[in-house]
Parts: sequence; structure tokens; C-alpha cells
Amino acid sequence: MSLKVDHARCTECRMCYIVCRELDINAVYVALEPLHRIEIDLDACTYPGCTACLMYCPAEGSIVEAATGRSMVPPPPEAWQA
Amino acid sequence: MHPILEEFCDKWVWPTMPGAPGAEFRLKITHEQCLKGWELLLERNLRDIEEELTRTDEGWKRDHALRGYAAEGVHMSIKQMSAQLLSVDIGEQENYIDLQRMRARQIWDECKHSKLHADVLLGKGWVKYERELMDIAQANVQPLPAYFGLSMMFPHIHPLARAAQNYYTEANACLGIMAYIKLVDDPLVVHEHLSQRDEELMHFMEGKFQLDFYCTTPEIQRHVEDALGYLLHQIGGFGRSPQPSAVKP
Repeated sequence: MSLKVDHARCTECRMCYIVCRELDINAVYVALEPLHRIEIDLDACTYPGCTACLMYCPAEGSIVEAATGRSMVPPPPEAWQA
Repeated sequence: MHPILEEFCDKWVWPTMPGAPGAEFRLKITHEQCLKGWELLLERNLRDIEEELTRTDEGWKRDHALRGYAAEGVHMSIKQMSAQLLSVDIGEQENYIDLQRMRARQIWDECKHSKLHADVLLGKGWVKYERELMDIAQANVQPLPAYFGLSMMFPHIHPLARAAQNYYTEANACLGIMAYIKLVDDPLVVHEHLSQRDEELMHFMEGKFQLDFYCTTPEIQRHVEDALGYLLHQIGGFGRSPQPSAVKP
């Protein structure tokens, strides 16, 4: 399972980037393209082991499960409840 | 609990990163202090909106936009956010570098919000140019002494004391926006609020992040509780009166 950013909904606030850096996972990065959009490096991302970015994202629907397109913001219970 | 507050909490407050070191403290102050304040201010907001909607003229929309402009005007926004930015001195910068970037981004957000209030005044024809607002006292004076800095920056100088403001105060903004969008159908008023919605929520998330990640020791938590007590004291008298421990050596 992996996550991706839905750019139609993402506001580029970079909360996910900051949280991911704080945890030293560094899977969220600023893409080297003119819009400098936020992307998720699937090789570095440890989802579903880590769900931290989902807890601080303020834009509903902006992070989705790549395979299904299911919105993960706000985070569903299984993303944060044991 | 009001359904608007319940929805806000279910979506944004209760979801908690497993293992977040400051989460227990955040949830404690949420239950013991924030919920009371959020509920009280939401009730006041809803009462105000319902009263405004009974009026036959649109004067309340003008007053609301002028108040918003006074709170989030460019000069005010720069001052209030500078208070936050300058609470981290250069020697501590390495510990809070991304936090500072978040706060710097918030300057633009707040400045943009004042443009949204101006959009209402322009769209309704109450002013022809935004610069006319500089001559209207109501658009330049606001009564919030603890509004993100200013009076807060002096007694609460710890870099993380403002986590209380990000978390508590911005939640109030989010709840007010939810209430206005739910009850008012004027396209300009909806624009005024809807275009702030995700940004105010981001500012709330800044607070949630600071509390969950950085506010992990009793010493830091004391500063947050002092700031929160001050904010709650402003609205209902149920917070502690301002006796900031931050001034103690």
C-alpha cells in the first residue's frame, strides 16, 4: 500500500513535509519542477507503518491511497487507533 | 457538544499520531480547557449569526468585514506574526527551523485573509478602492489583546508558548468559519470564509504539531498552559488570570 498527493485538493501548505522531516523519514519532498509541488517518495515512505502526515494535513482528501484513490484526510480510525 | 464542534473534533482533534511524545499533554489540555472555550465561543458565534440573519439590511456584513480587516490587515498580520517569529532567537533557530518556516508562511495567509474581507467591501460597493479602508477607524482597530502576539509576546516569550494560540485560537477560527458557511448563503460571505478554511486549519495543525512533537517536558508545558490560561481568561473568566511563569528566572 502506498500514498500519493491529490494535487487538485492539496494546498501546498507543507505540513506533511515538515512532519516527515521531523521524523527523519524524508519521504515527502518538494518536486524539482516549476510548480515545486509536494510529492511522496514511495521508496522512503513507510506507510502504513507510519501515518504521521495524515494527522496534520489540513486539506480534506489531499492525501489518498494510490491504488484505490481512497481519501486518507481526515485520517480514518484505522490510521491512528490501535 | 454542538454538532459543529463534534465534527471538528472527530475530523481534526482526536486523530493522533501513535507514539507522538506530546500527544498526552495535548489531549489533556483539550479535555480540561480547550473544549470549554471552543464550545462557548461557537455558541456566541452561532447566536451572533442568527441575530445577524434576522436583520433586514446588510450592515452586519459590512461590520463583519471591517472587523475582519482590522484583525487581519497587512500591518496587523505582519506585527502579530513577527511576535511569533522573533520569539526564536538566532541561537535557537537550528532547533525550530521548520517551525519558523510555518510561521513565516502564516504571515502571507493572514495578509491574504484581509484581502478576502476587502473583497466583501469592494463587491458590495461599500468602498471603491481598498486604500479607502486606511481612513476608516473600524477597519484598523481591534479589541483582541492576545491576538497572536502583541501583548502575548512580552509575558510569554518561550518559543513554544504560542502553540497554545495556534491550537486553541485557530480552532475557534475554524469553528467560526464552519458556522458561517453552514448558515449564510451570500456568495461573498461564503468566499470570505471558504477561502480561509484550509489555511486556518493549517494554522491549527501547526499548533497540534508543536504540542505533539515539541511540548514534551513539564517546563515547556508550563509555558503553554500559561498562554492558554491567559487566552481562556480573556473570554470567560474560567482560565487562569495572567500570572505568567515565563517571567520567573
